[in-house]
Amino acid sequence: MTQYIIRRLIQSLFIIWGCATLVFFMLRAIPGDPVIQMLGPEYTPEAAAALRTKLGLDQPLLVQYTRWIGNVLRGDLGGSIASGETVAEAIGSGLPKTLSLAALSFAIALVIALPTGIVAALKRNSLFDYIASVVAFVGVSMPSFWFGIILILIFAVNLRWLPAIGYSEIGEDGVWAWLQRLILPSLAIGAGYSAILMRFVRAGLLEVLGSDYVRTARAKGVRERAVVLRHALRNALIPVVTVIGIQLALLLSGTVVVETVFSIRGIGRILVGAIFDRDYPIVQGVILLIAVIFVLANLIVDIVYTFLDPRIHYS
Amino acid sequence: MARIDWSILSGPRVSRRTLIALAAASGAAGYASRLAAAPLPTARFTNLKAAQGEPVTGGTLNLGFGISQIPNLDPAKVNLGIVAGELVSNLFSSLVQFDEQLGLVPDLAETWTVSEDGLVYTFTLRDGLTFHNGDPLQAADIVYTYERTVDPDFASPHANKLALIEAVDTPDDLTVEFTLSAPFAPFMAVAASRGPGRALTPIPQRAFEEMGEEQYDQTPVGCGPFAIVPETADLSSGFELTAFENWYAGRPFLDSINVTIIAEPSSRISALEAGDVDMLDIIPAIGVEQILGNPDFTVVQTPGTSWNGLAMNYARPPWDNPEARMAVAKAIDRQALIDTALFGLANPSIGAIAPAFAWAYIPPEEQETPQAFNLEEARALAESAGIVGQAPTIMATTDTQRTAEVLRNQLSEIGLDVQFEQLQQAAWNERWTAGDFDWITNGSVADADPDDGHWNFFYSEGPWNTHGYNNPEIDELLEATRATGDQEERAALFQEIQAILQVDVPYAFLHHTIDTTGFHSDVQGYLPVPEMRYMEHVWLDR
Repeated sequence: MTQYIIRRLIQSLFIIWGCATLVFFMLRAIPGDPVIQMLGPEYTPEAAAALRTKLGLDQPLLVQYTRWIGNVLRGDLGGSIASGETVAEAIGSGLPKTLSLAALSFAIALVIALPTGIVAALKRNSLFDYIASVVAFVGVSMPSFWFGIILILIFAVNLRWLPAIGYSEIGEDGVWAWLQRLILPSLAIGAGYSAILMRFVRAGLLEVLGSDYVRTARAKGVRERAVVLRHALRNALIPVVTVIGIQLALLLSGTVVVETVFSIRGIGRILVGAIFDRDYPIVQGVILLIAVIFVLANLIVDIVYTFLDPRIHYS
Repeated sequence: MARIDWSILSGPRVSRRTLIALAAASGAAGYASRLAAAPLPTARFTNLKAAQGEPVTGGTLNLGFGISQIPNLDPAKVNLGIVAGELVSNLFSSLVQFDEQLGLVPDLAETWTVSEDGLVYTFTLRDGLTFHNGDPLQAADIVYTYERTVDPDFASPHANKLALIEAVDTPDDLTVEFTLSAPFAPFMAVAASRGPGRALTPIPQRAFEEMGEEQYDQTPVGCGPFAIVPETADLSSGFELTAFENWYAGRPFLDSINVTIIAEPSSRISALEAGDVDMLDIIPAIGVEQILGNPDFTVVQTPGTSWNGLAMNYARPPWDNPEARMAVAKAIDRQALIDTALFGLANPSIGAIAPAFAWAYIPPEEQETPQAFNLEEARALAESAGIVGQAPTIMATTDTQRTAEVLRNQLSEIGLDVQFEQLQQAAWNERWTAGDFDWITNGSVADADPDDGHWNFFYSEGPWNTHGYNNPEIDELLEATRATGDQEERAALFQEIQAILQVDVPYAFLHHTIDTTGFHSDVQGYLPVPEMRYMEHVWLDR
């Protein structure tokens, strides 16, 4: 197992390096010049040339690339072109927000998806199952930004129960303020996410409930509760965990738009803003981070399999 | 040319009224009388609640600011008009500032004189000025600021506005004297005014050097009515401004302003309605009607300082043919365009002189333009220019897409099959500066003087003249607007330029955006200076 993890981690390094390289060159291939962008329409060729030199953008691409990779290896992600902020500072300020948002969305999704999925599977073709299916379809088809706007209109503008926008630091304003500002955006992301998970929980459970070992368990008189929770659910969760790993992309892309609607400056908004401004170092740094998150998340998913199903082991 | 006496630009006030009076007295009254007769563009307040008594000191105003990120707050680097006019102008005073008609009034300079030949500007600073950190602000600081801005290594995008300065002198601690190599009429507005004139906005040398350039970008030490609270400064989410006790005109009424950045327009509206913020710097067009209909909010609309139009690239035939361009210009129904694409929040435009410049502007009702909407004439011209069936592409951004769509519909009436291509701003900027487009809608943004919206676009060597317009007569007239200090004469010159531009059609002129801000009705004292938010006047009636 340890060997496997080490091997996977070494593989991951190559994947991340590939990502970083691809992003570095693709960014420079798309139209748009960060220097013109930064100086604005009032730029003069002299000022542009001076800034280009200052930022090292006048060097050949390969020189820029080796310089950047060298710095990354030394742990220096560089600084933003548009603002004085370093990439590490930008990530340091954005990551906690995005992680809070993603974690709470994920929790909301699980809290909704697991029970409804289980009940829908057990009471297959019942009224509950139909309603849950319809709600899930609506949930999947509803764009999270739109749902976010609706939530703001209801809970912030009309009822005035919760703030419409912004983020509170948990360390500064306490847990309640933090939670208060996160509930609506997390719901906006979590709702759609839960709909997908719920469908997988239901399908997985239905398949497992029809299998031989469940019949055996029932035949030997195991209580229904134990059959479902201890025997069936664990195996039914394997596809769900796979989906969770893959859908991490959905969760992160969901935060991009929802962060915009709720005016939270997390990783998503930092990335989008940087792409628009052609702020190369920030885009490179954030994508590198996202690549790391993905690779690690999928590694964790593979490890979780072994806990869910002891028959799965890596050597 | 008649002898020009530049000294009339001397302070402590250059207003429209003095200019008109002066012009009338000097006998050059023909134009002056027309100006005086023209209705003065004024701000429109909707739902303004009558103030309950005298201004009150204290309280915090929550301001929602519509931008995705503020790159920096160093005046010499800021390239976004709204950041300059609405935030930098509160952090920094400058030598002069604007009044509601965009006349110039004293700011840090108590008064100033301009020599008769228009080459020497002498500013007399107020006594006892300080920066936010307590350092004195004197003539030497203006010199330092000048040197910093023009330093090629510093790469300020505003250095070009100081290019004509030949010498800077400080006869004493409170006097600074700039000598120009040639007269440059918009000098004070574009280089030394509070907000837009950021090339000479005073920077404290000690603070800048101690902090370093990158830190100063984020938490600048200024000299305006409000100071930034460094610990709160996050230019991508927001920051707090606190009243500066030692501002020369006394501390502002508000204790502090909490600036929250809200990129998404619909979220900005929600935040205002939900009470998260008390004021929006600009009400997004999609929400103006909604806020206007809500009695809890005051909406203030002031004439814009900019213009917008459709440029057809001379390098892409048949658009080098003036007849073809005129056919397009005449086929555009401006009012319908404004109503459909811009939610009615603009004024039709007949040229590049914006309505906020009351001293030079004459409204469309009082002036004929050959570009006026006339479908029959447009069809005939299109026929004779042979452009029927042409399929030019409008290069647009998300901001201009609606306008492009409406133009496409309107121009199908004269047989054009207009295509459009939507680009991100960065890609758009790159192709625009390279002149790589058929058509674009474009225009000026937050101008300090009509010079901004003319020279750059219509001078043959103008930096934004990437559509290839070249008329020696216009070049000469534009040079003349810079070489005369008499605002009356400049106004006449700009009118002359406008008449030629209307015929040449380097742009089909479309509209002037209306500057629209809004706040909760307990916000009082707002001074409507177009595209500026001078917040020291504001107080809370709570």
